[in-house]
Amino acid sequence: MNGRERMLEAFARREPDRVPVWEMAFNEESIIKLASFFTDDLPPMKFAQQMTPEEKIKLLNCLFTIVRELELDGLSSLALLNTEPAGEDLVKDGWGRLLRVSEEGEATAVGGPVSSPADLDSLEPYHPQQAELLVLMASKGNFGDEIAQVFVQPGPFRESWTFLGSMEKLLFYYIKDPGFVHALARLATDFILEVVDMAVELGADIIGLDGDLAFSQTTLMAPAQYNEYILPYHKEITARVHEHGRLIFKHSDGNMWPIMDGIVEAGFDGFHPVQPQCMDIGEVKAKYGDRLCILGNIDCMHLLPFGTEEEVERSVKETIAAAAPGGGYVISSSNSIHPGVKPENYLAMVKAARKYGDYPITIGA
Amino acid sequence: MEELLSKLKASVIEGDEDKVRSLVEEGLSTGQGPRVLLEGAMMPAMEEIGSRFASGEAYIPELIVAAYAMEAGMEALKPRMAGDDSGGGKVVLGTVAGDIHSIGKNLVRMCLEGAGFDVVDIGEDLKTEKFVEAYREHQPRILGLSALLSSTMLHMREVIEAVRAVDPAAVVMVGGAPVAQEFADEIGASGYAPNAFEAAIVARELS
Repeated sequence: MNGRERMLEAFARREPDRVPVWEMAFNEESIIKLASFFTDDLPPMKFAQQMTPEEKIKLLNCLFTIVRELELDGLSSLALLNTEPAGEDLVKDGWGRLLRVSEEGEATAVGGPVSSPADLDSLEPYHPQQAELLVLMASKGNFGDEIAQVFVQPGPFRESWTFLGSMEKLLFYYIKDPGFVHALARLATDFILEVVDMAVELGADIIGLDGDLAFSQTTLMAPAQYNEYILPYHKEITARVHEHGRLIFKHSDGNMWPIMDGIVEAGFDGFHPVQPQCMDIGEVKAKYGDRLCILGNIDCMHLLPFGTEEEVERSVKETIAAAAPGGGYVISSSNSIHPGVKPENYLAMVKAARKYGDYPITIGA
Repeated sequence: MEELLSKLKASVIEGDEDKVRSLVEEGLSTGQGPRVLLEGAMMPAMEEIGSRFASGEAYIPELIVAAYAMEAGMEALKPRMAGDDSGGGKVVLGTVAGDIHSIGKNLVRMCLEGAGFDVVDIGEDLKTEKFVEAYREHQPRILGLSALLSSTMLHMREVIEAVRAVDPAAVVMVGGAPVAQEFADEIGASGYAPNAFEAAIVARELS
């Protein structure tokens, strides 16, 4: 089996030849540190926004080297929307969203084009352009069908709050102006559907719908609010992905228990990353393993940054024993390989996944 | 009076800013002291919404509208509270370098203000020096550090060390989605809370 087949088999909740290994994201620093184990051809240690085009290509090549050397089964990409400078540390995208560029490489909306329902009438919808999905095209060009092409796109909740420039504002309107919340979700969903169509056309096998709906204690919104303001839009998006014959999972950190039934009802094929501080993967497997492929769970908050390689191996072994039997499990960290993760620990995680991940799984839970 | 206090409490819980404002004004105009309104209705409302939040009956949207209503009430009370030291003292609050997320910090700010603290919000994505500078300038009772990304919470240790070099007795609270009690203990934080409402309670205990 190749990586793509392995990932698709896991998503079908069947047993592939071995547990697939994949990550939702790597940061620049992590890519450079990991790639240094395999090549000397590295870009300088800086953030992508500060790199020249040649250095960015080098960074991308480093990522491809990691995938190839570690035989990862899929690679995630995302749309890099065109932006123009809008002041110190600020850029503006095609929607008119002001994004603050962080040194960590993740840009977050700090101001939106919409502040009240009246602004919606004059808002010109932005349409995605193929060039913005360059990383997906490069990955497809490099790996073809050898590995699963995973395309990660913010979901309707995240897109909606970025139109307002603040998550609090959106949650405030959940109580104060339901019609406005729906109007924002409509706008967001139409955009997401366009991006999804384009990603599928460019070779995406699996769509990941990003945007946290929960935090460490519970969900950001009540189950009834999820059902009212998010579920109908999730259903539209999963239906479109399935029409294309592709698969889709929901990503959210935090304790998602209150709305897990909704995630199943929405039609998602998988759920990532089962944050171990908030959700027990054995319980998730027992309750939803027959309907969802489970991805993630190797702790990147504490274990991967501070743990020993032996502790990482033990955690991988236990997680595989709990989640992999019967299929339907893809191993990854509990969020991403961020700069705090010790590269040696990530390598130990991949190594342990190969040591214990061959089907049939013989280690006991 | 009892009726006004119970209406005021209910209005804070419902997040009805206009009603809270007008009830506070009504209370003040009938000769009620600001402390009576604050301690007899508004703080109990925050406690009520906090316990509903903890038990899963209320979620962040309810907490936000209640915090806004509380803020509206505090604004109306403030001119009458000069010289009153019933507050919890000054808190300097900010998000560590590399993190531009603000919702967690903003919710904590709302709840601390609701609990009577004077909060100086110094913003997001702040370098360690900024925290030290703000600590020197404001001499707060508590310094609050927030992080939402697991990649940035590591900066918290750096800030704690730098601030304690200036004041070894500095009281530093940490919080945010990736932060857990064990991490807070490891980096030497004075306090940790898993959510905004509990942050206000822990801050009250520490101040």
